Amino acid sequence: MDTEAPIREVIEEIKESGGDAVKYCYQCGKCDSVCPWNRVINFSMRKLIREATFGFPEIDREEVWRCTTCGKCPQQCPRDVKQIEDMVALRRIANAYGVTPAFLKPVRSASASLAAEGNPFGEERAKRADWAEGLSVKPFTEGMEILYFPCCFLSYDGQLKKVAQATAGILNQAGVDFGILGAGESCCGESIRKTGHEALFKQLARENIKSFIDHGVKKILVSSPHCYHAFKNDYAGFKVNFEVVHISQYLGELINEGRLKISKEYHKKVTYHDPCYLGRHNGIYDAPRGVLKRIPGLELQEMEESRENSLCCGMGGGRIWIDTKMSDRFSNLRIKEAGGLGAEVLVTACPYCLTALEDSRLGLNYEDVIQVKEITEIIQEVIR
Amino acid sequence: MNIKVPAVTGMERAKERHAKSLAGANFGDVLVAGGGISGIQASLDLANAGFKVYLVEKGPAIGGHMAQLDKTFPTNDCSM
Amino acid sequence: MEYCPVKYPDQFNQAISKNKAIHIYYSQAIPLITYIDESCLYLKEKKCRICEAVCKNNAIDFNQTAEKVEIKAGAIVLAPGFEPFDPRLREDYGYGKFANVVTSMDYERLLCATGPYEGEVLRSSDLKHPHKIAWIQCVGSRQVTPGGSSYCSAVCCTYTQKQVILTKDHDAAAECAVFHNDIRSYGKDFERFYQRAESLPGVRFIRSYVSVVRENPETKSVTIRYATTADGVKEEEFDMVVLSVGLNPPADFKDLADKFKIELNGHGFCQTDPVNPVETSRPGIFISGAFQGPVDIPESVFSASGAGSRCGELLTARRGDLARERVYPPERDASGEEPRIGVFVCHCGANIGRIVNVPEAVEYCKTLPNVVHAQEQLFSCATNCAGEITDMIKEKGLNRVIVAACSPRTLEALFRDTLREAGLNQYYYEMANIREHCSWVHPKEKEEATRKAKDLIRMSVARSRHLEPLMEIELPVNKAALVVGGGIAGMTCALSIAGQGHEVHLVEKETELGGTARRIHDTLEGLDVQAYLRDLIKKVYRHPLIHVYTGAAISDAAGYVGNFVTVVRSEGRVFEIKHGATVIAVGADIYTPAEYLYGEDERVMTHLDLEERIAKGDAKVTNAASVVMIQCVGCRNEDRNYCSRICCSESIKNALKLKAINPGTDVYILFRDIRTYGYNEDYYREAAGKEVRFIRYEPHDPPLVEAVAEGGKSILKVTATDYVLGKKLELDADIIALAAAIIPAAGARELENLFKVGLNPDGFFKEAHVKLRPVEFAAEGVYLCGIAHYPKLIKETVSQAYGAAGRVLTLLSSDTVTASGSICAVDENKCISCGACIAACKYGAIEFRETPLGRKAAVNPVLCKGDGLCNAKCPTGAIQLKHFTDDEILSQIDAALLEEESAERDQAVV
Ligand SMILES: Cc1cc2nc3c(=O)[nH]c(=O)nc-3n(C[C@H](O)[C@H](O)[C@H](O)COP(=O)(O)OP(=O)(O)OC[C@H]3O[C@@H](n4cnc5c(N)ncnc54)[C@H](O)[C@@H]3O)c2cc1C
Ligand code: SF4
Ligand code: SF4
Ligand code: SF4
Ligand code: SF4
Repeated sequence: MDTEAPIREVIEEIKESGGDAVKYCYQCGKCDSVCPWNRVINFSMRKLIREATFGFPEIDREEVWRCTTCGKCPQQCPRDVKQIEDMVALRRIANAYGVTPAFLKPVRSASASLAAEGNPFGEERAKRADWAEGLSVKPFTEGMEILYFPCCFLSYDGQLKKVAQATAGILNQAGVDFGILGAGESCCGESIRKTGHEALFKQLARENIKSFIDHGVKKILVSSPHCYHAFKNDYAGFKVNFEVVHISQYLGELINEGRLKISKEYHKKVTYHDPCYLGRHNGIYDAPRGVLKRIPGLELQEMEESRENSLCCGMGGGRIWIDTKMSDRFSNLRIKEAGGLGAEVLVTACPYCLTALEDSRLGLNYEDVIQVKEITEIIQEVIR
Repeated sequence: MNIKVPAVTGMERAKERHAKSLAGANFGDVLVAGGGISGIQASLDLANAGFKVYLVEKGPAIGGHMAQLDKTFPTNDCSM
Repeated sequence: MEYCPVKYPDQFNQAISKNKAIHIYYSQAIPLITYIDESCLYLKEKKCRICEAVCKNNAIDFNQTAEKVEIKAGAIVLAPGFEPFDPRLREDYGYGKFANVVTSMDYERLLCATGPYEGEVLRSSDLKHPHKIAWIQCVGSRQVTPGGSSYCSAVCCTYTQKQVILTKDHDAAAECAVFHNDIRSYGKDFERFYQRAESLPGVRFIRSYVSVVRENPETKSVTIRYATTADGVKEEEFDMVVLSVGLNPPADFKDLADKFKIELNGHGFCQTDPVNPVETSRPGIFISGAFQGPVDIPESVFSASGAGSRCGELLTARRGDLARERVYPPERDASGEEPRIGVFVCHCGANIGRIVNVPEAVEYCKTLPNVVHAQEQLFSCATNCAGEITDMIKEKGLNRVIVAACSPRTLEALFRDTLREAGLNQYYYEMANIREHCSWVHPKEKEEATRKAKDLIRMSVARSRHLEPLMEIELPVNKAALVVGGGIAGMTCALSIAGQGHEVHLVEKETELGGTARRIHDTLEGLDVQAYLRDLIKKVYRHPLIHVYTGAAISDAAGYVGNFVTVVRSEGRVFEIKHGATVIAVGADIYTPAEYLYGEDERVMTHLDLEERIAKGDAKVTNAASVVMIQCVGCRNEDRNYCSRICCSESIKNALKLKAINPGTDVYILFRDIRTYGYNEDYYREAAGKEVRFIRYEPHDPPLVEAVAEGGKSILKVTATDYVLGKKLELDADIIALAAAIIPAAGARELENLFKVGLNPDGFFKEAHVKLRPVEFAAEGVYLCGIAHYPKLIKETVSQAYGAAGRVLTLLSSDTVTASGSICAVDENKCISCGACIAACKYGAIEFRETPLGRKAAVNPVLCKGDGLCNAKCPTGAIQLKHFTDDEILSQIDAALLEEESAERDQAVV
C-alpha cells in the first residue's frame, strides 16, 4: 500500500477553484450507491472526493471527467458535498495545468470552436439560422412576444434541426409573435463550463447577454434544458434576470390559453424520460407530462426510474464530447427499460438525451421496438 | 397560574370526567402533559413525593411509544 | 366490539393490521376501556349504532362530547415525546410504494406478540416469513438534505441491534444485514450489545448508506445497492427492508410551544437550559423525555425524575397539602383457617386465551384440592377484574388467591394490593405465569400449552396451601441525605435535595469541590464551565442545609434504608452522620495511556491535557502547525469493553477551539466510529466544515506513531490506513492528543463494599434496573448519578443528578418506609453456628447473637433483601427465606412431578 502525506498546496488550490465542499464528506458511500456509472462500470465519487480532501486528485485520469453532472448524488448526499462543483473544480485545475490526455481531444476542439464561432461543431456562426430557411421565422426585434433560442444542436445538427423546425411550426400555428437571433446567438456555455472552461463560459455568457440586451429581449423560449439552466441559474451570476421558459412549459401554456388546438388523436403507448437538467436540476416534472396527457389516445406510462429518480442519459457535464464505449452507456439501460415497459415511443425534451437515446436505440437494434422523439415532434403531429 | 388543558381528542372523556369528580377542586400541584414513559415516571415521582398530579395524554391510553416497542435495549426485556 | 362493521388500519400496530372503530387501544392499555374513534360510522355519517344496541351494560353513550377542564397548577412538566420520522416525506426509500419496505416502528409491532401477526414476522405482500432482512440506518437523521434532520437520533443504532437479535430469536436461520455509517454504541452496555448482535451467525454490519433500487414484481423482494471500498458498488436482494427511522419532534410541537409560551430549538424540540436539559425557557415549566431531543428510555426516565425534583424545589412548601393517603380495611386473621383457594385464569386478551384453553383450565382448577372458586377473566389486571377478585374473596371467604396470568415481575404488586383491599394478608397471593412461560413460548402447540398451563396452576395451588401471612415492617426515615462526591453531579443533587428542605451532608475526598469539571473549560455549546462551577460551589457553600466535608474519607457505613450511619474522617476529625438516603456521585478517572508514546514524548498528551493547555493559552499548543488526535485510547478493547461516550465530542470541541484560535492549524482526528450522538452531530459537521480531517482506522490496524529524526529535529509521524483511498496517510504532528478512556473511580471497589452496592463488569456502579430504576441501586435508599454511573456529558450529568434528587425525595418525603415481609429467619434449633450464611450475605444482614441455645445466626430484618443466598449455603437448612420456604417450594416441585408420574402411569396402562 502506498503511503502519502496530505498536499496542502493542492488542497488550497481545489478550495480556490470551487471544490471547498469536499471537506464535508463523511464517506457514507451514498453517492456511489446512486451514481449511474456504477450500473455499467466501477466508479467511486466517494473516492474522488476523498482524494481531493487530501490533495491527491488524479487530474489526468478519466475518473475526474466521468461525472455527467446528473445531479443524483448531490440530491442525496447527506453532507451536501456538492459533487458537481467539486469535479468542475478539479477539471479547472487540470485545464490550468494543460493536462491533455487523449480522451479530452474532442473537448479541446469543441472549446476552440466555441471560442471562435460560438458553437462546438466548427461550423460558421453566420450559418446559425440556416435551419429556419423556408420557414416563416423572423429575426427577433424589440417588442416581440418571445425570443426562441434553439441551441447549437438544434441549429446545426442534421438529425436535430427537425426539432427546431417543428417548434417554429408550432409557434406559428399558435400565432406566437416570436423571433430568433441567428448569428446573434452563441452557445449558452453550460456544458463547456462543466468541463472546467470557466473563462470560455464567461465569454459566451457575455456575448449572449449583450445580444439579448441589445435586442431588448425579455422572455426567452428554449428547447434545451441546458440552455434553460444556463440562462436561469448560471447567468444569474451576471446580475441579469431574463424570463426563461422551456418548450415543454410553453406548450402547456399555449394549449391552456386555447392558442394551440389539438385536433388529432395519437394512439400510442408513450413513456417520458426526464432530462436531468429539466427535472432534478430545475424541478420541471409535471409540465411535459401535462402536455402529453392532453393528447387524446396517448397512453402515458411511467418508467420505474422517473421524475426525481430519473436515469441520466450520460451526456451531461461535457460527456457529450467525450467518447463513451457503446457498452458503457446509460442510455442503453434507458432504452431497455422503456422497451421493457412496452412503450412504442420514448419522449424526451432535451437534445443531448435525444442524441444519446437515438444512438442506443440503433446500437441495440431497437429500431422496430421503439421510437425516440422530442415532445414537439408529437405535438406537431396532432395539431394539423 | 391558569393553564388550559391542551386540546384533547374525543377519547379523553373518561379521564376528564374523572378529573372533574375529584372533589370539584381542580387545583393541582403539577400538570404533566404527555403520558409516555417519561410523563408516567414524572407523575409517579411527584405523587410519591406528596404532590397532586394531573397527567394529560392526548391518545386513548398512556404508554407512549415505549408501549409500541416489543422489547427494549440493552437488556431486551419486555417493554410492558 | 365483534359487532362493529368498521375495519380500518390499527394505529397502534402501525396500520399493518386492521381494527374496529370501537376497540381497546391495545390489550394492556391503561385505562383499559373500550373507546370509539374517529372511524366510527355513527360519528362520521350518523349511521349504525349497532354497538349501542348490543351492549348489555348501556355503556355506550353517543352524546359524549369533549369537555374542557381547567386545571390550576403550580408547575408543569411537558413530556410529549417524539414522532418517528416519516419516510414517505422523501421518496427515496420506496416506503409506501414497496410492500416490503417497513419502518423500524412497524417492525417493532411485527416482532411483538400483541402485534399484527401475533408475534410472527411476516411480509404483508404474501404473509411469508422474510428470510433475508436489511436495515438501513440514519433514515431521516444525520443529513442536511431537505426534509431530514441534521442531528443523530441517538437510539436507532442500538434499537436496530435489538431488532437483529430478536429476529434471530424468531428465526435462527435469518440473514440480517445492517447498512450504516458509524455504529453509535455510546451508552452503558451498548458496546457489548453491539458485539452480541454482530457476532450472531448470518449477521453482517456493512459500512455504507444505500439506495433502494427496485421491487421484484413477482416476489416483491427489494433490491438495494451499496458501496464497498474493496469491490465497488454491489446490488443485493432482500425479502424485507427495515428503515431505521429517526426521532422527530412531537407532531404538534409548534402549537405546544405557543400554548405554553416556551421556546423551541432549531430542530423543533424544546430549547432547554444549556446545562440543565429539564429546564425550559419559562420558569415553572419543565420537560422530560424525548422532547429535549432524541434520547433513550433510561434517559427519559431519569430526566422525568429530574423534572419532578425541580417541581419539588419550586413547590416544597405545598408538599402533601393535596395528596391523600390510601386506607386499607383491617386485615382478617386467616392463619388458623383451612385453605380456601380461589383461582383466576386470565385470557390476557388473546395473548393467553388464543393458545391455552382457558375454560378447560378453569374446570381443571375446580378439581384440585382446596380450590373453592375458579373463574376466567379477560384481563385480570384491569380495574374491573381486580374488583371482581376482591368481591370473590369476600363472598366465598377465600384465603388464598392465585392469578394465572403473566409475570409476577410486573404485576405481583398490583394483585397483592388487591388482596389488601379485600382485607387479606398480601402474602396469601400466588401467581402462575402462563403467558411468558407458556402461551408465548408454545404458540404452535395449543394442546400441550393447555396441559402445561394446568401443570403450572397445579403447582401454584400446591404451594399456596403452605403460604403464611407475613408482616411488613414500617421503618422511620431519617430526613437527611448523604451525598458522596462533590463534582457537578454531587453538588447539583445536594442543592436540589436541600432546596426541598432536607439536610445534606456532602463528602468530597479532595480538598476542593468540583471534580473532573475543574479540568473542563467549555462545552461544545459554549458554556463557560469554570464560571458555572464557581457559581455552583458558591451556592453549595452558602446553602444553610448543606454541610460540606472536604479532604474526607468514609471509613465505615452501616444501617439501612431510612436509617444509615456513616463515619466520615475529614481534616483530622471524625464525624458520625445519620442519614436516610445515600447518593453515590463519586465520578470517574481518566486512563493513563500506555500507547502512542504517551509518557515518553512530551508532545503526546491526553485530550483533557490538551483542553487545559488550550485554555491556558500554551503557545506550544496554540501555535502548533499540525495536531493529530487519536480516538478510543484505552477502551473499546478487551481490557475495557465499553465506549467512553464523551471523547468524540471532546476531541471535536478541542479541534474547533484550535481552529478558532488559528484556522491554519491542520487538525486530524483518527477515529473508529464518530459517536456524536444527538445534537452533537451538528458539531461534527461544523468541524468538517472548518477542515478538521477525519480518518477512520480499524482496531486491528491502529495508527502508528513514531518519533523520527529529520533534519536534526525530532518529528512525530503518524501513519494510518485510509480505506477509501486505499492508501496509507502519513501525518506530521506537533501535538498528539489521545482520547483516553474514562475509567471507574479508584475508590469504586471500596464504596461497593461499604454501601453494599454493585459494579457492572466494566467497574462502573450498577443501577437497580437500566430502564426502570436508572438512578438507584438494588440496595434500597442508595442512589447514583453522574459519571460514577457511566461516562456522560455535563448536561446529562446535571439531568441525572436532578433525577437522583427526585428519587431521593420520594423516600425522604415520607415518614416511614416498608420493608418486605419476605425475609430470612433462623431456626435456632437447627443452626450449628458455622457462619456459612454470614459469609454468603452480601448485605451484612446476618450476625451471630448470643441466645439461650448459644451463639446462633440472627437476621436483621431491615437489612435482609430476601435473595436467599444464605439458604443454599446452610448445611442444615436452619435459615429459611419466608414466602419461599422449603415446604412451599418442594410442594410446588412435587406437584409438577405428580402429573409426570401419572402420565407415565397412563402410558404404562396403555
Ligand atoms: C423504533 C424504535 C425503537 C426503540 N427502541 C428502544 C429501545 O429498545 N430501548 C430504548 O431505551 N429506547 C428505544 N427507543 C426510544 C424510546 O422509544 C424513547 O426514548 C422513549 O419512548 C421516549 O419516551 P417519552 O415519554 O419521552 O416519549 P413518548 O413515548 O413519545 O411519549 C410521549 C407521550 O406524550 C403524548 N403527548 C404528546 N403531546 C402531547 C400533548 N400536547 N398533550 C398531552 N399529551 C401529549 C404522546 O401521545 C405520548 O403518549 C426506540 C425508538 C424507536 C423509534
Ligand atoms: S454521499 Fe456525500 S458524504 Fe456520502 S460519501 Fe458521497 S460525498 Fe461523501
Ligand atoms: S452527479 Fe450523477 S454522474 Fe455525477 S457522480 Fe453524481 S450521480 Fe454520478
Ligand atoms: S448514527 Fe445516529 S441517526 Fe444513525 S442510526 Fe445510529 S443512532 Fe440513528
Ligand atoms: S473516542 Fe470515545 S466516544 Fe468516541 S467511540 Fe471512542 S470511546 Fe467512544
